Amino acid sequence: MHLSDRITGLFLALLGALAAWGGSRLPGVPGQEIGPAVFPMVVGIGLVLCGVMIAFGIGHSFEEEEVDEISKAPGLAAHLGRFRGAAALAPPALLLFYVFAADRLGFLLTAFVVVLAGSLAMGARFRLALPLAIAAPLLVHLVFYKLLRVPLPEGLLAAPWA
Amino acid sequence: MSQLLEAFRLVGAPDVLIAILASSIYGLVVGSLPGLSATMATALLVPVTFYLSPIAAVATIIAASAMAIFSGDIPGCLLRIPGTPASAAYTDEAYAMTRKGQAELALGAGLWFSAVGGIVGTLSLVLMAPLLAEMALSFSTFEYFWLAFLGLMCATLVARSSPIKAIASMLIGLLVSCIGIENPAGTPRFTFGITDLLGGIEPIPALVGVFAVSEVMRAMTLAEPPPMPRRKFGSILAGQWALTKRYQWPMWRGNIVGIIIGVLPGAGADMAAWVSYAMSKRFSREPEKFGTGHPEGLVEAGASNNASLASGWVPSLLFGIPGDTITAIAIGVLYMKGLNPGPTLFTERASSMYALYIIFILANIIMIPLGIAMIRIASLVLRAPRAAVMPVIVLLCAVGSFATGNNLFSVLLVGVFGVIGFVMERNGYPVAAMVLGIVMGTMVEQNFVTSLIKSDGDPLPFFERPVSAVLAAMTFAALLWPAGVWIARRLRRSAPAL
Repeated sequence: MHLSDRITGLFLALLGALAAWGGSRLPGVPGQEIGPAVFPMVVGIGLVLCGVMIAFGIGHSFEEEEVDEISKAPGLAAHLGRFRGAAALAPPALLLFYVFAADRLGFLLTAFVVVLAGSLAMGARFRLALPLAIAAPLLVHLVFYKLLRVPLPEGLLAAPWA
Repeated sequence: MSQLLEAFRLVGAPDVLIAILASSIYGLVVGSLPGLSATMATALLVPVTFYLSPIAAVATIIAASAMAIFSGDIPGCLLRIPGTPASAAYTDEAYAMTRKGQAELALGAGLWFSAVGGIVGTLSLVLMAPLLAEMALSFSTFEYFWLAFLGLMCATLVARSSPIKAIASMLIGLLVSCIGIENPAGTPRFTFGITDLLGGIEPIPALVGVFAVSEVMRAMTLAEPPPMPRRKFGSILAGQWALTKRYQWPMWRGNIVGIIIGVLPGAGADMAAWVSYAMSKRFSREPEKFGTGHPEGLVEAGASNNASLASGWVPSLLFGIPGDTITAIAIGVLYMKGLNPGPTLFTERASSMYALYIIFILANIIMIPLGIAMIRIASLVLRAPRAAVMPVIVLLCAVGSFATGNNLFSVLLVGVFGVIGFVMERNGYPVAAMVLGIVMGTMVEQNFVTSLIKSDGDPLPFFERPVSAVLAAMTFAALLWPAGVWIARRLRRSAPAL
């Protein structure tokens, strides 16, 4: 996901402009000039300035050249070939899955899927991933549900101590 | 005196002692695993602190962060992979010592001077905080505004990237903090009709996402580090006293530089280590030996990063302005536990403050035996395959952020901030600056708007009070510093051409 400074700079300038515009439309406090609009406008204008400067490459001389970090990673990244950078999206995808599945499937089943998929995606063999995906959710559930009393959803499969 | 006795009673409570021991072991293990930083260790601890007594909660953070900063040296020394960013400055040096057959000396120096740095840093906290507290009592919103602004500028000044990108990161953080109804008029701002956004974005999911999830994302695209060869270690602490005597002056310099960098808002242990290592090389009598396995830089930088850890608590406790990313998390915990940061903390809750000092000293003392044990079993811990550790981290991110509010929306936020952090890091935008913006945004806005209302929109009163004028001058100096450096560089480059 290495983007040029021109793209990120312009994106920031656009974001800043939107923030300043959105901020300026906020309703004020009656009888007073300074309200909730001031701060987003200041920040937004600052972002526009920074974004434009970045797009023109000002301050670039302070940066250290980034080495392209992607190296031969096992698992999902190896299967994706040319798009192996996309493997980085697996962890947030697993979190998204957790958000949508936790209440329906329950914690244990969701966590099983998250750990199993995550472990396999990082190149683990089934021999490691399967026992891990069974043990880790149970342990996490024990600590968070029993000791810390976090109301983890029960769903389809309840833990023996729940 | 009775306050001090009370403090000892508070620390001596069994739950506090167990919390210190358990979080020390946790910190040592997490810090030693490459890719898992001290900040991440602390962020994942927060949900646990909800369920502890105030002193025990603060103790877990202090102990875990101190241990993690030390144990980051272990894989750096043995595998040439820093366990935490704070060890990155001298990883090559330590690894060169290992190749020369001096692994014990290098690891011992990391441990011994970490403990020394931690204790000296604590003493600075003990001395400095009450003095500054007296001064801070007379501060008005103008001073607080400049102080917070100066803190944000310092964070951008020390970032190892383009200062403009650092400022942009910080502004993104401030923009994130605008979300919600916590603003001067109480109107929903940038919530886009989403109810979950009304309460604003909590710093914890943002921190966990930026520091933990994005780290796992990076690991997805990198090859697994090589396994560590099994080895037996000799005595760890032998020779450390000789090093202490020989490099006494660099050690003190490291301590002092660490303390100063720690106090500066926003700059933390990794910055302290880089600056101290560079300083050690510049002032050394034998700079040619640096990089070939010379312990001098190790002594200075190892002391420095741990010293900065303790002094980072000074601005956090006094003003609620984080000294580094770890104390940025700690401030949230302090508020939650009723220990609201501010100068009155030192008068009204003096015993709690003494207890905090005692915990710091205690953590740095037990670091030595626990650290030796950790070094001995390091080859076992470092054998844990990444494919087993990282998925569990993802699960802990989900459960931990869920536990902060029993709300699945924060799990979603963790994922979103993971992606934001990953993309920013890849393109040279320092994420620590954004995190500070998020943490301090509400405070900056509140003091800015209150000051503006007081002055009726006139900028002059911002500079009228003596302390605020000084702070304003420092802020502008920080703002103009990169431009000055740039011009100086230009002049130097064009001079030989003439």
